[in-house]
Amino acid sequence: MPSNPSMSAAIVGAAEADRIGYLETPKTATMMHVEAIRNVCKQTGIKVSQIEAVFSAGVSPQIAEYLGIHPKFFDTTSVGGCSFEMHVHHALAAINSGICDVALVTHGEIGWSARATKGRGTGRASGGDPWVPDALWSNPYGVTGAPSNYSHSMTRHMHQWGSREEDFAQIAITTRDWATLNPRAIMQSKDTNPAGGPLTMADYKASRYISWPLHLLDCCLVTDHGGAVLVASADVARSLGTKPVWIAGAGENTSHSNMLEMEDFTATSAKASGEAAYKMAGMGPGDMEMAMIYDSFTITAAITAEMLGLTPRGEGPSLWANGAAGPGGKFPVNTNGGGLSFNHSGMYGMQLLVEAYRQLSHTAEDGVNGLPGKQTNAKSCVVNGTGGSLSNTGTLVLVSD
Amino acid sequence: MADYNKPIPDPDPYTTGPFWEGAKQGKLMLPRCTVCNRVHFYPRTICPHCHSDSLEWIEASGEGYLHTFAVQHRAFGGWADEVPFVTAYIDLKEGDRMFTVLRGVDASKPETIKIGSKVKVEFEKATDEVHIPFWRVVS
Ligand SMILES: [Zn+2]
Repeated sequence: MPSNPSMSAAIVGAAEADRIGYLETPKTATMMHVEAIRNVCKQTGIKVSQIEAVFSAGVSPQIAEYLGIHPKFFDTTSVGGCSFEMHVHHALAAINSGICDVALVTHGEIGWSARATKGRGTGRASGGDPWVPDALWSNPYGVTGAPSNYSHSMTRHMHQWGSREEDFAQIAITTRDWATLNPRAIMQSKDTNPAGGPLTMADYKASRYISWPLHLLDCCLVTDHGGAVLVASADVARSLGTKPVWIAGAGENTSHSNMLEMEDFTATSAKASGEAAYKMAGMGPGDMEMAMIYDSFTITAAITAEMLGLTPRGEGPSLWANGAAGPGGKFPVNTNGGGLSFNHSGMYGMQLLVEAYRQLSHTAEDGVNGLPGKQTNAKSCVVNGTGGSLSNTGTLVLVSD
Repeated sequence: MADYNKPIPDPDPYTTGPFWEGAKQGKLMLPRCTVCNRVHFYPRTICPHCHSDSLEWIEASGEGYLHTFAVQHRAFGGWADEVPFVTAYIDLKEGDRMFTVLRGVDASKPETIKIGSKVKVEFEKATDEVHIPFWRVVS
């Protein structure tokens, strides 16, 4: 008889690579993985040799081999930035079914350093298949990467729901406010980056269009990052010195792969993955005290807020209006400064997990690698990753011990 | 003729052959399911609506409507010379969608481009074998 896996496992630690952001001396993606893994093991007291399951976006056998371990469960789900939320979902299922007690979810990506390494050391195969739908039906028309695709969704949102660029600007401004409180954030201040520090509406409007209607300041950063979390059974979680953050609910879904098949350009599968996660948790959007929402672009965050039931349909940006989602606001969102102003390496789902763990374990001000963040009072958090071209989503409902 | 300097599709002859044969003759060919009678795009070997494998190719009207668009200010290769240009999703009159670079619009004035505008297909010869569909606003 299947049992509801809710609360059968917890995130027991979450760590980052020693240095993240714009590394002055390039590293490889594998180096970023290993630094984060070493740090999360140190944090939790779990030895590398005690890891029984490995989850990563595409490289689990390679990471296991590099570490010299032989996991009895592994998964390389690689569907963009939401992969890591899905890994936690899968780890929860594996732990609940008794297959393993200790699972590693790991991430290493060098979005920034890859410029200096000329694409080497990313751990990714190059070249594409000319017969896949993207190659035949999209790429001939000059689209280049995520911004050039996501912009079509923002245009449709403005047409269908009457949203304005000022509404999206508020997401960028509020998210930046969080970044100013996070010394790990690229855009914390003018000291961390010439373009850092608080943003104004004028800054937003003056920023150039990358793909109209997306301004530069609607778009995430491209950085280096390594992160790792350990997911453990309730018994193991109780035996450790770290505070567990319980996995109350998890869900995942997909609406399309190529944007050609995105039926409603103002909706994502976060509606379905969110409902699954809330149902497993026996909770709803009204029970959430904060949110970590993938903000590859302001439009991504806005639509996700609607899909997760945090705002009515068409009113996603209102979650951020008047700083309501910012520091001191009534509903904190993206407390690390987001992909927009903290760090975004390409697949940002791990950064969401690390921050959610820090907030719900109330360790945000303990610091990561000596750098503290800003603690909120939240005891529950909905975490939503989005991957591909608004294609795939993974949602988690996490709660404090 | 100057060489076509933008990405040229390398067509899959097994599932998309009739599309490219039609394109050479200026015809928009679309797959239609003989069970549910619905058209789909991109071409597949199974109907994504009812999952039948009984499919035929029809010559479409080549007409549609603008569903949504964006103005690209950054591009690579041959497209870099064309910025800013407008990319768009087209609702086909027969159903389903195609993606395109939209013609007949002013990319420097996105506020003048109207979702819902009527569009027509045209083909540009990239090679003897590959003629690429583009859509143009007609009002
Ligand atoms: Zn059918």
